[in-house]
Amino acid sequence: MNIDPQGLNTIPAISIRNLTKVYPIPFRRERVVAVKDLSLDVLPGQVYGLLGPNGSGKSTAMKIVLGLISPTSGQTQIFGRDSSEVESREDVGFLPENPYFYKYLTGAETLHFFGKVCGLGGAKLRTKCAELLKLVGLENAASRRLGGYSKGMLQRIGLAQALVQDPRLLVLDEPTAGVDPAGSREIRDLILDFKARGITVLLCSHLLGQVQEICDRIGILYHGVLVREGKLEDLVSIENQTELILENSSPAVLEQVRALVEKSGGRVVETRKPQTTLESFFLDVTSGRRTAEEPPHVRRKE
Amino acid sequence: MDTPHKIFSPARLWAIASNTLLELVRLKVFYFLLLFALLIIGSSAFMLDFKFQEQFQVLKDMSLGSMSIFSWLLAVLATAMLLPKEIEDRTLYTILAKPVPRLEYILGKLLGILALLFVSILLMSVMFVIALYIKQQAVLTDAVRGLPPEQTADVIRGVKASAFTVSLIPCVAMIYIKSALLASFTLLASTFATSSIFTIIVSFVVYFIGHVQGIARESLLASPNASALSKVFLAFVSLLFPDLRLLNLTDDVVAGNAISSAIFLKTAGLGLSYFCVYTLAAYLIFAFKEL
Repeated sequence: MNIDPQGLNTIPAISIRNLTKVYPIPFRRERVVAVKDLSLDVLPGQVYGLLGPNGSGKSTAMKIVLGLISPTSGQTQIFGRDSSEVESREDVGFLPENPYFYKYLTGAETLHFFGKVCGLGGAKLRTKCAELLKLVGLENAASRRLGGYSKGMLQRIGLAQALVQDPRLLVLDEPTAGVDPAGSREIRDLILDFKARGITVLLCSHLLGQVQEICDRIGILYHGVLVREGKLEDLVSIENQTELILENSSPAVLEQVRALVEKSGGRVVETRKPQTTLESFFLDVTSGRRTAEEPPHVRRKE
Repeated sequence: MDTPHKIFSPARLWAIASNTLLELVRLKVFYFLLLFALLIIGSSAFMLDFKFQEQFQVLKDMSLGSMSIFSWLLAVLATAMLLPKEIEDRTLYTILAKPVPRLEYILGKLLGILALLFVSILLMSVMFVIALYIKQQAVLTDAVRGLPPEQTADVIRGVKASAFTVSLIPCVAMIYIKSALLASFTLLASTFATSSIFTIIVSFVVYFIGHVQGIARESLLASPNASALSKVFLAFVSLLFPDLRLLNLTDDVVAGNAISSAIFLKTAGLGLSYFCVYTLAAYLIFAFKEL
């Protein structure tokens, strides 16, 4: 892949230039501006978070990038190819929000079908399907129909189908919506795994904590306008403050630190005990129980 | 991906078509064949007092008529749910976000329906031929009983000629073409409809228009008071929708008339022309549709 560490001299994975999308309202003279003069680049290897409240134009921008709708004006490209060209989608895997795949297909049949529409076949496709099922942890559910899959399993099979043709770019729309914390963490870990493999990810999510954990760069859309864009750490760090976390420090030592800071002209803004996240606490509690006892629905009859 | 992208790929087309067929098979649409079997068994059982020619006529009329109605219903109902359901379930997005041209997607869906109709009509034809054969054997047993040997050959020839005729083949082929035509129209309607129910209603209305427009045209042309405007309107309707009565060869076959190759080719050509126009129109609307 053509990636340089600085992100310079590289063809962007996604390039959006002056994109505007206007929807006319039928039988009325009014128009809705879904996206207004949007320009941004997602460089290869990045995990880019596109954020915004409902109706901010995220899905519209994403659909234009995927060639599902056409822009009113402006241009979108995927690895240098105009996204209105079918060929540009060779490099893209897409997971829509709340996907409902064909319920009558099994997990393995689903991947096989999506592989075939991508032009794959034969032993290569069978091997690829087996690899992906293993990657997303569904090898034991491969022969079950999707109608019987849980929400988290559907999202994981969705991720697997998105990867079937080895795309360089993944577009994920709310990949953890409606998934329980354990499933959500699994999906987050998968995204981090994709990032480690050099796959570019465009992520739309409302779960800001998760976006903060995995994204390198974010853009915030509001009423179709990109109001803020940049590297995550630049946007959220408070430049004139420093966080210092100490372990096994006595109150006397803390008092000395405070005195030293104040002597140098600084100010201790807050002293508190660090807290774990509710997600980590929940996962610790439930994973402990999972190993200790089987869940009721798989408990065997005596 | 290692292989370069093809503008048109029969493998991708078949992947979509076979998946569409699989969906319909797993939705258990073939259960309607039980109803068809009951109808032909019933029609065979309740006409034992008729002459053998009439018995064959009733069986053919009932079987070919049922075949026509079942294939029409199947074509409309199965096609109407395709696009709206795929949009609602977002499966359409997932497929079109892959390197799949919209032409292949829509042709694949239609091909799946055509395969379903082909298998259905083939199975109904097999059941019909078996019923006709059983009826022929029953009639033959009765007809030759007590006859002197020199007359049996003529009677057997007469019964067989009434049962199986070559014209049954073009008749069944036209049932298939007609249902394919209705499927292509339903697909066209579903490209601009917002729901399956709207598509079904529009397709039923067109089926009705297709059957009555010929009668309306004949009565209008016979009427001296017909206005120019009504003639233009009828000509426009006739151009948009085919006269479905013209695509029906069942009445001729039941009456025992031979179907010439010229008539079959002309009728099939008319049906296939409308099929192609509707399919092209469906593609053009779908190609520019905002999803």
